[in-house]
Amino acid sequence: MDDDSKGSHLSVVLDLSPTHWELSSRDAPENTYPLTLATFLSQLLAFLNSHIACRHENTLAVFGAFPGKSIMLYSSSNAVLDSLSTDVNANSYPPFNIVDSTVVQRIMTELDSLEEHQEEAPTALVGALVKALCYVNRITLPTSSNSKTQSNGFHPGVLPDPRILILSVSPDLSTSYIPIMNAIFSAQKLKATIDVCQIYGPNTVFLQQAAHLTGGSYIFLERRDALLQYLIMSFLPPPSIRKTLSVPTQEQVDFRAACFCHKKIIDIGFVCSVCLSIFCQPLPVCTTCRTKFPMKTLQRLNAARPLLATGNSTRPSQSRMSTAGGPVTNNGVGGAPAAPHGGGQIANGNTNGARCVFHLG
Amino acid sequence: MPSISLTAPTVLSSSPHSLLPFLQSQSQTTLTRLYQRPSACLSIFRLLAPLQQQIVMNLLWLESAIASSTMAAWVVREGKKHYDTALSTLFRLHILSTSPIKLALNPTFKTSFRQALTGGGTTGSFGAPAPNDDKHPPMGIDGLDGYALERWETILHYMVSSGTGQNSMRPSKDVLYLLQRSGLMASPHGSLQITSAGFQFLLHSPHAQLWDLLLQYLRMAEERGMDLVEVLSFLFMLSTMELGREYSTEGMNGTQAAALTQKAMLNDLRDYGLLWQRKPSSRRFYPTRLATTLTSSSPPLPTSTGPSSGPKEGFIVLETNYRVYAYTDNPLQTAVLNLFVALKYRFPNLVVGSITRDSVKKALSNGISAEQIISYLMAHAHPQMRKNNPLLPVTVQDQIRLWELEKNRLKSQEGYLYTAFTSPADYELVLNYAKQLDVVLWENAAKRCFFGSLDGHANIKGFIERRTGGNA
Repeated sequence: MDDDSKGSHLSVVLDLSPTHWELSSRDAPENTYPLTLATFLSQLLAFLNSHIACRHENTLAVFGAFPGKSIMLYSSSNAVLDSLSTDVNANSYPPFNIVDSTVVQRIMTELDSLEEHQEEAPTALVGALVKALCYVNRITLPTSSNSKTQSNGFHPGVLPDPRILILSVSPDLSTSYIPIMNAIFSAQKLKATIDVCQIYGPNTVFLQQAAHLTGGSYIFLERRDALLQYLIMSFLPPPSIRKTLSVPTQEQVDFRAACFCHKKIIDIGFVCSVCLSIFCQPLPVCTTCRTKFPMKTLQRLNAARPLLATGNSTRPSQSRMSTAGGPVTNNGVGGAPAAPHGGGQIANGNTNGARCVFHLG
Repeated sequence: MPSISLTAPTVLSSSPHSLLPFLQSQSQTTLTRLYQRPSACLSIFRLLAPLQQQIVMNLLWLESAIASSTMAAWVVREGKKHYDTALSTLFRLHILSTSPIKLALNPTFKTSFRQALTGGGTTGSFGAPAPNDDKHPPMGIDGLDGYALERWETILHYMVSSGTGQNSMRPSKDVLYLLQRSGLMASPHGSLQITSAGFQFLLHSPHAQLWDLLLQYLRMAEERGMDLVEVLSFLFMLSTMELGREYSTEGMNGTQAAALTQKAMLNDLRDYGLLWQRKPSSRRFYPTRLATTLTSSSPPLPTSTGPSSGPKEGFIVLETNYRVYAYTDNPLQTAVLNLFVALKYRFPNLVVGSITRDSVKKALSNGISAEQIISYLMAHAHPQMRKNNPLLPVTVQDQIRLWELEKNRLKSQEGYLYTAFTSPADYELVLNYAKQLDVVLWENAAKRCFFGSLDGHANIKGFIERRTGGNA
């Protein structure tokens, strides 16, 4: 409603895995469009500047996911403090200068301080995402009427439609399924949109779901030489503009979940009817909530397994059921590992048509 | 949970920025010269509506023109009209080069705006920071805010007190001239008096007031022999500067004429409180918050309740019994309230009054509209009031509107009464002719007369004469 006058907030989460950036920068034949970290950063900075250019009030935060740790690289609220100390020249707009130098400097320091053995560790993408959510939560909290305005006289106020943009280069890390799902639900609660751009590597199942469930857009970058154009056309417009100028969204979303027991992405799973934990095989006792299941059910499910695999299930699979009492899902598609008590739903939001999830007990 | 609803200021800001129509009326060469400066491109870009910004951004990094149909494919069906309006504004601003089938940015704009985003170049359009000055301590942000506030309130206070006969500090001669030229004040009897446009002006948000005056300044610039492009780029440069940093006047002037223009502007803008200089002859200056927030919608001044304590956001409590409690000790705000409130008591930090039929009538006769009163009350409502939904008591809002309607019961219009037609046919003929011209204000077939407006008289008279001439 009042998007026109107020700024919008953008948090950018950068996946800075040295291994994958090295792979991404290799020339043909491995990559049709090689993209080095340096080129990526220069295009990213142009994008960040574009966001700040749109409104004086726009705020920005940049988070980096490094192997094993996540760091806040830049945020508009902290930048004001040390801005006067930085060097300015007559040819550039001071706020752009500050963003550019801070982001690049801190990335370089972090990457240089990495030791050899650390580089192989998976990146803390979830950590960075959660930090971004915490930051969004902080700035969206309405300031109480008595709170003092900041020393610079700028009243932060409530910015509508916070957005998070994840720029990922790593493949899915199946151990991070549960934290990512929890992050998605928090984002839904905060009404934050998660946009995802997969710059390198295969499609990620979890990030696709993140974008889909929060109403964001997921883009698998094909022409990597046109990164900036992709970024600007799809991720720069705030939600209010997306009502007029549409942005690409996925036609097909891979809704597969990872099982809690082996952290594998599974096509067919078994869901505890009490806590909604997902397992890849029928278990007598739920490992999460310790619920015991009757022997008869287990036998029946085990007997049905070959049938399930061929898809000739005797039970009708109910699709698109939302979990009652569980975290709210916008579009009725939900696999809800964090639900306190769902009462035995079949979570099956399936566009690939190959998966059903059965529940135990 | 109560949702925070922001009312009056946001409603106003949904309309396009007041500078854009002015820019649209400029010639293509003027605008292209303006677009040579990256800071001007950035500032103008900020003033655009979000959709227009996105269109510019989509085209910015493309090397070649793109077919209009390709771009239109991104637009959802319901947004088509919105999109077309956005495009036509961009065409009129000459940001898009005029070509019906291909969309491309004006090459000058494209180059400069790219430079603004990526930095670099040698235009120096963002202002040269002054080297550190060892002799004087730097001016603090609080000091700058205080200065800007003092200058700005002097202007407003002068306006509001001009009708009451009280003497308040006079702003400089140039400011008075500007106020007079903009029609906010007039001197019918020798002394300057506030006009009805001036009363309306007082109830605008500070941001709108600032732009009103600057627009007038721009219109006057050409008469004074100043180069409009130089004036605009100087303003835009100020708007991209950083608050609390000192800038040097050296190195930004190109030609002799440009230098003169800038010198004149430094003097003028110092009077309005947009920038601060230690001495009028100083070669360095600080932009104030009034200048650095020119292209944003945030309130230009941190507080308009003065340097004293008190809530920062709003200060007016309005009750259903028409009583107004204003927590302020600021003479300007009291004076503005006095425009439409009958003030009763004054305390050190509180002014109490009530909205009466007479006080509102007085405001209406000054040319202030009921909507303006209501939006002023909304914009300055006390945080306690913000808990109410709706913000202002409905009874009071309705009553203020009713008082306005009362004033509009009679409408007078000049014109001519046509009577004494010899036959109904004659009457019908002339009446039909007048109806075609759309000048009939009132008619009565039984009495065979009708009343036509002033502009239609010559035509009707001619028609009747032709008729009678033809018959004779």
